[in-house]
Amino acid sequence: MRTLVLLAVLPMAAHAEPLVTGFERFHQQAPTADAGRLLFNEFGCVNCHGGDTGLPARRGPVLAGVTQREQAEWLKAFIADPATVKPGTNMPHLLNDEASAEAVLHYLGTVTPKTPFKPKGAKYMNAERGSDVFHTAGCVTCHQPGKDFQPPAGVPAAKDYTHRSVPLSELTKKYSLASLTNFLSDPLKLRPDGRMPAIELHEGDVTDLAAFLMDIQASDGSNAPNIAPFKADKALAAKGKAIVASMRCAACHELPKEVAAKPVALKENDGGCLDVKVSGVPRYDLSEAQRKALKAYLATRDAKISAKQKATLTLQALNCTACHERDGLGGPDAARKAYFTGDHNLGDTGLYPPPLTEAGRKLTPAWINDVLGGKKRARPYLQTTMPRFGKATDDLAALLAEADAKQEKPLPEGDIAAGQKLMGTMGGIGCITCHRWDKRPSLGIQALDLSTLAQRIQPGWLRDYLINPAAHRAGTLMPSFWPNGVSSNQVILGGDTDKQIASIYAFAKAGKGEPEGFPAMIAGEFELIPKDRPIIQRTFMKDVGTHAILVGFPAGIHIAYDGLHARPAMIWKGKFFDAYNTWFTRAAPFESPLGELVAKWSDPSAAADDVQFRGFKLDAAKVPTFLYDAAKVRVQERFEPKDGMLQRTLTWDAAARADIGISHPDGVTVTEAPGSAAGHRTFIYSWK
Amino acid sequence: MKTTLLLASLVAVRVLAADAAYTITDLLTASTTTASRSADWKPGQGITLEVSGMDWLADGKLAVCTRKGDVWIISNPHAAKAADVGYKLFASGLHEPLGLQVEGDSLLVVQRSEMTRLRDTDGDGEADEYLTDSRGWNVSGAYHGYAYGPKRDGKGNDWMTLNVDMGDHANNKIGWRGWAVIKGADGSIIPMCAGFRSPCGLGANREGDMFCVDQQGTWVPATPVFHLRKGIFTLNPEGLDSQNRPESPLKLAGPVPNKVPYPEAIKTVPQMVPPAVWLPYNKAGRSGTDIALCVAGGKFGPFDGQLMIAEFTDAKINRVFLEKVDGEYQGAAFPFIGGFASGIVRLSFSKEGDLFVGMTSRGWSSLGTRAYGLQRVHWNGKTEFAIKEMRAQSDGFTLVFTEPVDAATAGNVASYAMSSYTYLYSSAYGSDEIDGQTLKITAAEVSADKLSVRLKVDGLRALYVHELHADGVTTANGAKLAHANAFYTLNKIPKKP
Repeated sequence: MRTLVLLAVLPMAAHAEPLVTGFERFHQQAPTADAGRLLFNEFGCVNCHGGDTGLPARRGPVLAGVTQREQAEWLKAFIADPATVKPGTNMPHLLNDEASAEAVLHYLGTVTPKTPFKPKGAKYMNAERGSDVFHTAGCVTCHQPGKDFQPPAGVPAAKDYTHRSVPLSELTKKYSLASLTNFLSDPLKLRPDGRMPAIELHEGDVTDLAAFLMDIQASDGSNAPNIAPFKADKALAAKGKAIVASMRCAACHELPKEVAAKPVALKENDGGCLDVKVSGVPRYDLSEAQRKALKAYLATRDAKISAKQKATLTLQALNCTACHERDGLGGPDAARKAYFTGDHNLGDTGLYPPPLTEAGRKLTPAWINDVLGGKKRARPYLQTTMPRFGKATDDLAALLAEADAKQEKPLPEGDIAAGQKLMGTMGGIGCITCHRWDKRPSLGIQALDLSTLAQRIQPGWLRDYLINPAAHRAGTLMPSFWPNGVSSNQVILGGDTDKQIASIYAFAKAGKGEPEGFPAMIAGEFELIPKDRPIIQRTFMKDVGTHAILVGFPAGIHIAYDGLHARPAMIWKGKFFDAYNTWFTRAAPFESPLGELVAKWSDPSAAADDVQFRGFKLDAAKVPTFLYDAAKVRVQERFEPKDGMLQRTLTWDAAARADIGISHPDGVTVTEAPGSAAGHRTFIYSWK
Repeated sequence: MKTTLLLASLVAVRVLAADAAYTITDLLTASTTTASRSADWKPGQGITLEVSGMDWLADGKLAVCTRKGDVWIISNPHAAKAADVGYKLFASGLHEPLGLQVEGDSLLVVQRSEMTRLRDTDGDGEADEYLTDSRGWNVSGAYHGYAYGPKRDGKGNDWMTLNVDMGDHANNKIGWRGWAVIKGADGSIIPMCAGFRSPCGLGANREGDMFCVDQQGTWVPATPVFHLRKGIFTLNPEGLDSQNRPESPLKLAGPVPNKVPYPEAIKTVPQMVPPAVWLPYNKAGRSGTDIALCVAGGKFGPFDGQLMIAEFTDAKINRVFLEKVDGEYQGAAFPFIGGFASGIVRLSFSKEGDLFVGMTSRGWSSLGTRAYGLQRVHWNGKTEFAIKEMRAQSDGFTLVFTEPVDAATAGNVASYAMSSYTYLYSSAYGSDEIDGQTLKITAAEVSADKLSVRLKVDGLRALYVHELHADGVTTANGAKLAHANAFYTLNKIPKKP
């Protein structure tokens, strides 16, 4: 059983200062004005003191309805002493006594959301799976891994952690299972500033994740805590309102107008919150490096910063650099790398998110926005999922484009047909040997889909990349087909490198056809199409049951046989069956025929007496004959399409039993064939 | 097939540094990764070899059934190159078969709904008879209603095991869900014992007694290996309603207790028997899936007669040594070989002494990153320094090693550490280790042949898992143990000789 026992890797107590990961990783050693800008933004200094850092706004969580979502006891303790309850939090220490915290809590109890909080409780959960989600979906790039989870290469050593993890409160004291699930299903709703981004997970995964984080081991959630109902006391709430207004909570949190906070102009670049020992004002417990950085920033805060600086600081503020490297900085450290899983066949590129160096030049702004908006993903093999940051990234695509702009040498006009040839394996360089194309798996390792190449990539960068892939992506398995700018294919377009690359781009952009060399495709990927012989498939089927045996005939007339009650159950025509769910879906849903229903037999409760199904045999034409015993007399039953009709033949030992119960389906015309007699009866079913 | 070969050539042989005594070779591994519960998972190119059952034909070919519902006959399974292995489709359209056994000219497979006898009567290499051989359990349509087997015991009984249902359509009130059954006369089943949750693997030991491995979850605190017998109850009461049917061989006097330490729980229910071994969670796997008796005649290292326990989540194999104390099996689990490509579901030794490892991890998480496949483990003839056996004594344990030990380190009590613990028996999903104690090792006496060490230990507790760490023990050359930990399930403390 896995519980969230955090690794005691970097004790929080030793680092009481608030955590801004980007600062701790990249600036702590040499705190510059840029570092101070990052902190001024991330600590919310700018929210109180005004100004413009140029970075995405850092806000506090939504407080309306907070007492419905979080435990009052926890809230009170946190309000009273944030850094003790959650070491490393960016929420400053504001109050000096518990009574004030209690009053603030009661005031918050009066701040209600527009729509009341009514979370849905899940029926089933699996904390163990939740641990897998937590440790593989990307949560542990920011948060501390649990010690019970074994990543493939083993639990990393403490020394491999280069910086602290973003703290989690004691979640069992803070949330109910439903409220944590609700939060995790879209963190941006309650924390719109994107510092806790939204990871796209299936609904069940979110429940499992919450169950893991709260250590709920019963699969029905029977031991999950609930939020105790909170009733705000009027007198206390009034007192709390005054405290909230005087402490200027509304500078960071969205609160009613009655407690609005106006900016406090900065008169000096020292003292106040920056002081080492202060009380009565927000107290941040800043480290020396943090203080130094903030002072450096304040001294020069009117100075303009370049788009490059702004881009760098934005990526650090949102902790994009936890996963992505840019210009040699960032990406997961050795410890956190251990938790990235994916497709080992793709080497490091199959495990780790791509670098963002030159991202604004590489990717089209539309693609960046689609990725940030959760609409597009290029690397399905990465187990970590790119999260959404909400409005914090609204301007990021434009910012990256500005920061990474470069004088591009235009490519010549491409030849679409030549591009198609080049990408295929029939005389081309064979991109599809490794790369997928839309729904087509590649012929080998499953590198990313190239059908979206032109939607994603800008031509100038593409040219540079193709000539020397390793220079742009460390650890890529992608070879250069144009080493030193010389094409390895001297046949197509006379071996002209620029023309070839332009043609690949043009073919992808045209969006028509696919590269040559994929194997012939069947009509539906998992549709069963009887061609030269019947296809038999067992499944769960509606109106047939859990012992359904489907028989699809090349003539386009198909039946389902109920192997529990030994009776035919359904006839349909046209398409036979889509086997995807039966073959590959764990939930094993009850299926339906793919074609058009012709007729059904009535309910099996009317089935014949004492029937034992005995299986089936295939004849030389691979047509099944079903076998069953009716009151110990063996009956054989065979179906076969004939001239657009269905023929059904039953044979048995007439000496043992003169007659057996035979029922016919509704909606067909039943004709008994000539020569039919006891022990051998043949019926023809026809329909309009 | 081309694709399969291309992929296979990329990852043909893995020699694991940590397990250098063994080589793992790919016969076929999926080009797709696992994607737990993904709604649009797809198999890779080539054969979707999600191995769910394996057995050997008389001519040395390997018969494999797959979750998708096919049966493949694999020729030349010991070929050095994956390209030289042949695959021939024998049967298809089955409903998630999860076990296969060769019987004469037939293959027996257990599908969701029945045990089916497959035969090729016209000699074209394809089955033309799909005859119902045995059925009688309820099939509700719940996804978790898996059925496993058959496996034959020493008396000729064909055993099957049935999961409890979960999810939509689940119905554990009827039809022997959570039971082990054997095939009866004229296509029926005979219920034998109850109390299982997800008893995914069956296997007989050298004496012909049948064992099954269940999986941690509700009521099952950690992976247990049970010796199956008529009339016993193991752990999970969720399928106990069937005991009210006249065919039931057992009837508990009342409900099982909830949230009590396991050693107490077992005393309140007379039919309840302890597992022969527990495989502690994380330390010796997380989801046991199969049992294979090592019958390699020394070609798989010195482990003949021991049980190999397949492990799904960790994609590895643990090793189990059993002994009889007071007439009942108990013994020790040892970590063994890891690093397989996918979640292991089936294990089978070939006549040549290689261990074939069948895998599919669709639907659940595994450290193996491939979605499915078949690999082969070959012993390189180099004996790994390991604890071969751990035997209980009235006042401690005897450890038997695969190689002579260094008398100084092995005779030093400081080379060892031991703790004991049990589990909470409850409806919750799994259990922490509870009631733990550190035990004092008072003596470590090395035998004259230096192959065994007699440990004297204070404070043995019956029904507790006794976890040993022998990190300090080396060979004369200073080599350390490949795996220094062992887990002995001390159901009974032997009487003083």
